[in-house]
Amino acid sequence: MVAAALSFFAACAALAAEEVPRKAEPCVVCHGPGGNSTDPGMPSLAGQPAQFISMQLYMFREGNRKDPQMSPMASSLSNADMNELAAYFSRQKPAVSSHKTAPENAATGRRLAERHYCVQCHGPALMGQQHIPRLAGQQREYLRTQLRGFKASTRFDMDGNMTSAAQLLSDADIEILADYLSGLDGPAPSTR
Amino acid sequence: MSVSVGNPSLARAVSRLVAALLALGAFAAHAQLPAKPAAAPTPPPSWQQGRSAEQEKSTLHPFAIHVTGKPAKELPVDKLKVPAGFKVEVWVDGVPAARSLALGDKGTVFVGNRQAKNVYAIVDRGGKREVKTVLKGLDTPNGVAFRKGTLYVAERHRITRYDGIEDRLDNPPEGKVVIDNLDPSKAPGHFWKFLALGPDGKLYFNIGAPGNIVMPNYMQASISRVDPKSGTLENVAMGVRNTVGFDWHPQTKQLWFTEHGRDWLGDNSPSDELNVVTRKGQHFGYPYCHQGDTLDPEFGKNRSCAEFTPPALKLGAHVAPIGMRFYSGKMFPAEYRNNIFIALRGSWNRTIKQGYNVTRVSFDDQGKPKMQPFLTGFLVDEKADPPMWGRPSDVLVMRDGSLLVSDDHNGIIYRVSYGKK
Repeated sequence: MVAAALSFFAACAALAAEEVPRKAEPCVVCHGPGGNSTDPGMPSLAGQPAQFISMQLYMFREGNRKDPQMSPMASSLSNADMNELAAYFSRQKPAVSSHKTAPENAATGRRLAERHYCVQCHGPALMGQQHIPRLAGQQREYLRTQLRGFKASTRFDMDGNMTSAAQLLSDADIEILADYLSGLDGPAPSTR
Repeated sequence: MSVSVGNPSLARAVSRLVAALLALGAFAAHAQLPAKPAAAPTPPPSWQQGRSAEQEKSTLHPFAIHVTGKPAKELPVDKLKVPAGFKVEVWVDGVPAARSLALGDKGTVFVGNRQAKNVYAIVDRGGKREVKTVLKGLDTPNGVAFRKGTLYVAERHRITRYDGIEDRLDNPPEGKVVIDNLDPSKAPGHFWKFLALGPDGKLYFNIGAPGNIVMPNYMQASISRVDPKSGTLENVAMGVRNTVGFDWHPQTKQLWFTEHGRDWLGDNSPSDELNVVTRKGQHFGYPYCHQGDTLDPEFGKNRSCAEFTPPALKLGAHVAPIGMRFYSGKMFPAEYRNNIFIALRGSWNRTIKQGYNVTRVSFDDQGKPKMQPFLTGFLVDEKADPPMWGRPSDVLVMRDGSLLVSDDHNGIIYRVSYGKK
């Protein structure tokens, strides 16, 4: 009886959520249901700006950005596929971040984000805009890997700004920033 | 340091003396050493460089293109307007980031871009157009130019030539480097290049300023030319912040070019420019003087605008003029002959947006230029973010006299024609 009720509620919840388009099925295997990743190394796509998602897919396919998993995934996508996937994931509600920022990193993290101009492009709340990704609530290990990649000039960079910004980050700064950003909650889902 | 002395005790004394002197020297050096300098701060993002303290909270920002493109059927292309008697239509869509245009001898339209790595070719077969990816894996292949069977491509750092490419679009030849090492610093800034062939057979290209308002080095903020036969490189114009469109007057053969003025001097300052080179090596003012009459608040302090060549026409603040071509076709009415069409791809750096159209520049009897909008309808709401749905980025006069207009925001090329055609 309880099990039946639970499965009824689960079915209702599934109906309320947007149906996963077939094209997005391979994506959610790694990026999580609705693009909300639970893997620390795998970025969340839910609520990311559509232009960010389509541009990254494009750059993976074209070979500008390289990743052993993503490059082959993107290789067979058409531009229209990319636009469709971007539209779907940008519509999904980002889950409340499960990462808790270490208390000593909260204020330091914010200071670093301001001093190194993160907030200027990614926005005051680090929510991203246009082709610029949302950092708030993103998986920590993923953020750390990207920042290290930018610092080492190995991560694809559209215009050099991220590579330039990462040069003065110490390894400790990168740890603090990743910890701080990952723990940020996005806005309430209803405002999204 | 080595000391060679025969007597051991003298040697010890000498070595003590040397040690003492060294210690003294070390001390003196230490005493003069300033406190450990603070690490240089991270520079602001390149597009924000040059903001004043009051502008620190500004929400103005550049607009990013849809690099994957948008199909024309999803866009309000029916809102595009041209003067009476003219017609505008979508010529082709699905050309990612379509920007610079060049026309092949056999009618192929080659398309370069700033954000992608490919060069595209569009083949028109009886009104049905096919988009082919002809070159792959290039670095910012913005500049494309064509002459006598050869396509030239300007990447961020070099210019290459592809001989006979129009006969083998499906199996293009290997590129041969004309000139390399044009971007040794690999830093943010205006690193994408426009490319055109002059009446002298030389390849003309820009090397933009390395930021919004910074002191350029000897090869930056310039128009240069290279002789594809000899490889000889020369400066043609200096003090050019960034030009990504130029053409030669069909009669005077003088080089005209559009130029983007600096950002963050206010909604109405400075104006972007239409310039003409009347003498090789002329200096057009950057970073000292803008729009021919406005000294830069930082770099202009010890200079006068009289030192520099003023613009032929002020095009408006922040309108971002990109491609420009003289109209040499025969389809449009006679008064359009030798007029200039300019694609305005901005503005973003003003609170009330303007531009986002193709502007026509005509000349009066005294040769004085004046401008009026020609193709409009991209700008929807001058206060919105974004204010537009498309952005004209280059223009090209076709052999039938029609005008192609690229829109890199959506990856679309439009065609403007006149009369029944």
